Amino acid sequence: MRRHRVSDFEHWRIVTLHQLGHYLRTNRFYGLLGFVGVISAITLASQINTGVAAVQLQQLYRSSEYLSNFLSYTGLWVILAAAFFGGDALSVDFSTGAGYYMLVQPIRRPVLLAGRYTAAVLVTLAIVGTSYGFAAVGAIYFFGAPSVQWTLLAASVGVAVLYSLAALSVAFCVSAFIRTPAAGVLITVLALYVGFATIQSAVELAGIEPWFSLYYAGGAMAAVLDTDFVHMQTIPLGQDQYYTIWIATVSEGLEIILAYIAVFLPLSAYLYQRKESTG
Amino acid sequence: MTDVSFEVSALTKAFHNNPPVLRDVSFHYAGAGAVGYLGPNGAGKTTTLKLLVGLLEPTRGHAYLNGFEAARNRKAALWDVGALIETPEPYPTLNVHEALDAVGRARGLSREDVDREVDRCHELLDLPPLGRRIGWLSKGQRQRVTLASTLMGDPHVLLLDEPTSGLDPAERVLVRRLLNGLKRDHLILMSSHQMLEVTEVCDQVIFLHHGQVLLQDRMDRVAQRIRSGQVDVEFAEPVSEAAMAPVRAAASSVVAVSERRWRLSFDGSDAARARLLGLCQMVGPVVQFANTSLVLEEAYLELIPKTPEPP
Repeated sequence: MRRHRVSDFEHWRIVTLHQLGHYLRTNRFYGLLGFVGVISAITLASQINTGVAAVQLQQLYRSSEYLSNFLSYTGLWVILAAAFFGGDALSVDFSTGAGYYMLVQPIRRPVLLAGRYTAAVLVTLAIVGTSYGFAAVGAIYFFGAPSVQWTLLAASVGVAVLYSLAALSVAFCVSAFIRTPAAGVLITVLALYVGFATIQSAVELAGIEPWFSLYYAGGAMAAVLDTDFVHMQTIPLGQDQYYTIWIATVSEGLEIILAYIAVFLPLSAYLYQRKESTG
Repeated sequence: MTDVSFEVSALTKAFHNNPPVLRDVSFHYAGAGAVGYLGPNGAGKTTTLKLLVGLLEPTRGHAYLNGFEAARNRKAALWDVGALIETPEPYPTLNVHEALDAVGRARGLSREDVDREVDRCHELLDLPPLGRRIGWLSKGQRQRVTLASTLMGDPHVLLLDEPTSGLDPAERVLVRRLLNGLKRDHLILMSSHQMLEVTEVCDQVIFLHHGQVLLQDRMDRVAQRIRSGQVDVEFAEPVSEAAMAPVRAAASSVVAVSERRWRLSFDGSDAARARLLGLCQMVGPVVQFANTSLVLEEAYLELIPKTPEPP
């Protein structure tokens, strides 16, 4: 029996497959996949029940409008998937015996993180892909395949992939920081969804564009499909009072998303590298 | 076998602002053999093992495995090391083969060699069915799987923290036999509360108490040092007080433990031991003389309570 030196790349591949094998057998994966599938199926079924002509009228006879509306919940699916698969991805090593199994292997911690991150991205994309799959089927059904703007749909998928990377970067950072896995999952959901949404509303009331919010940046997934896209909308509330709503432009959304990846992923690696198994 | 060693040098570990768990601990061992790492709960045994594999970072000092510090170069330090520390938990969703496969591949085994290694471990440790999920295994079965994971790829240094905890007596015997075989060409550092286990397996022992090394020596020397001159002699038949008179004259004390069993105290020298054995054999047929498994226990009890906790 001969043992060959294992490169970091090979270790990354081994960890990814190991983690993926785990994720694909968890209840949380099938639960979330089923949940997104059921919601998407009910939405599609109710639209079919409404009738082709009515749906076409509602969506202004544009497949891109239809896709944009159908995919309006994608940001939420990404956040839930990021919380479920990233919120405890690293903390399991320090709160359960999982760390005593994998951290004593000759694998660098950043490589271990990279493998887990890749596996989490893949399962997140499987869930988001389900939503996109139903949307595409609906667009073909209501508008016909030649009318569907596939390029825009592909661009939206691209933004969704980047948004998933950013949300998972935040989730991994939370899990490198928090010791309890369940708390990591909860904090990720609270931070990315409830927290950002609340802060976003508050700053919009104050007339400030929420350029710092990842939740806000998620709007780029729909914005890329929306041909009548409006970046800023001012709603009059009364005498000399206005409420302004912002929707991230694609370029702005991408900048925010990339900034989150650039900050939170290296920070996760740093925290994970320094974390000690004290339990 | 490649050159194998472990070394800790002036190793100190303190958590936050608490008093150090380890205080300037130093020891070293090179080459094949088995070293017992003994001490009461909280002495710092597991902390030392964690420092060796890089699960903790030293406050001061260094911990080396095969010349590498895991805190600085994890990959090199752990390359030829199998570590069983605390209670490792492979993902419960994976089956036994998958859990072992990840470790084997991470240690540089080909797919075919992983299968061969899994078969070898299956035979050595009587593993549960390879297709069974980890989450469905009993505690003992899980312990054997994690022990198998430390052996995957045949690493030459084994760090074992209470390797037989959670195992039934038959499984313990199995593991002891395995370790006795492995120590011929592997270096084993084993912490344990099972003195019999350490006595049977280890060639050297290190006693740790309050984060300090009290004693590091070969087993036979520890036995000599601690042999306080107390043996149990067991006769084939009951023996009266009067019959024991010649033995009593040669021993410093003779106490009846039962009708057939007597505890003799003497100066601890081999000459006195031989003389007492001869006298006992004149009293009646001797079934057993001495109880070596107690030597370590005596050493432990003699060393540990006497040492006050440092300020």
